[in-house]
Amino acid sequence: MTLSISDTKNGKGKMFKTALVFLAVSLFCVIFSFIYARYSHGVHSDYMTYMFAYPLIGGTIVYLLIGLLSKARIPGRFVINVYNSGIATLTMGSLLRGILDIAGTSSRYQSVFMIVGALMVFVGAACYFAAQFKTS
Amino acid sequence: MRRFLNKSPWWAIIYTVLLAGFAVFVLLDTFVIPKAIQTVRDSATETTAGGVYTSNSYEDENISITIMTERVDETQVYIADIQLQSVDYLKTAFAQNTYGRNIKQTTSAIAEAHDAILGINGDYYGFRNDGFVIRNGILYRSTSRSVDDDEALVIYENGSFEVVSESATSADALLEQGAVQVFSFGPSLLRNGEITVSKNSEVEMAKTSNPRTAIGIISPLHYIMIVSDGRTDASAGLTLYQLAAIFKELGCETAYNLDGGGSSTMWFNGEIVNVPTDGSTLGERKVSDIVYIGY
Repeated sequence: MTLSISDTKNGKGKMFKTALVFLAVSLFCVIFSFIYARYSHGVHSDYMTYMFAYPLIGGTIVYLLIGLLSKARIPGRFVINVYNSGIATLTMGSLLRGILDIAGTSSRYQSVFMIVGALMVFVGAACYFAAQFKTS
Repeated sequence: MRRFLNKSPWWAIIYTVLLAGFAVFVLLDTFVIPKAIQTVRDSATETTAGGVYTSNSYEDENISITIMTERVDETQVYIADIQLQSVDYLKTAFAQNTYGRNIKQTTSAIAEAHDAILGINGDYYGFRNDGFVIRNGILYRSTSRSVDDDEALVIYENGSFEVVSESATSADALLEQGAVQVFSFGPSLLRNGEITVSKNSEVEMAKTSNPRTAIGIISPLHYIMIVSDGRTDASAGLTLYQLAAIFKELGCETAYNLDGGGSSTMWFNGEIVNVPTDGSTLGERKVSDIVYIGY
């Protein structure tokens, strides 16, 4: 399993690149929620409005910090995959919750996104910190 | 397999497909896939008692209806003044005579199927998984809403109205107390003749004026149904406060907001009275239930 850490300059470059990708996703979320609000007759949902926070805080800021901190080790592919998938799941869950809120309904499945997403983010972060501790 | 998944971009591709697929399923499950739970037997006990229709009224020995059209703050408002001999003539019906989720028909189709004299859209119970549903004396859903504003409207067998908090009672208790209809939408507009919404009140997160549907009571067996247009150049729509003020002006004691927006429809004698629209296209939206006057 690729839980191992690589601390090459190339790896840190990838962190910045990933941060930029998440920044683009955050911008997309802002634009999407803005356009959706234009056609929702004044009905709004905080889940839709603030869904950009997941990729911005969990993606851009986290990867920037990893890239900028000189002593930080670069997480392996598996950890990145799990963590990124968690952020994507949380963002999708927030989007869906926003759509359902604005429509005035709910779904028994909406909590699945939040639980699975949070779990993946936790696992990804735990693996990363465990590896940090192990290699420090 | 692990090496395969660790290689970019396969993990991302596979996970994206799974995530998007599940999201599509959730949307279809919520908005599209019909789930019939219970079919309702037709409760009609007698045929129309040979009443007299005019363009805006109906009269027979048991039912008297007058529909007025007013202009209120740049909005067309349709007011039905209803007097009955028995609450049995104030009825409700489900789309396709079926209780369930995503079972839908237009208000006019449901009204015609039940030989209604007058009909308005109901609370669109089928769009949610919670909220009491008692219709024509039968309990269909006893799950209370888990929202801050959980006011339900109860119509009792003596024709009186009461607004209750769903978390403070139970559907079974309401049924035992003689509830024949319970609507779960809200909020209440009037209680004891006083307006219960503020000028900033709205349905959940809505912030603008909208088409509205609401029902009120002046005295037992004397009711008011109001539908207002909105979201068009001709009609801006009403705020809840404006709607409540109309009920108060008409002398109502209790009034309650039903599903509005694109659902708002009033049907009378085979014709749609108002201008239903979802804001982009004109026309009736399919709903899960109606309130109607008929036999």
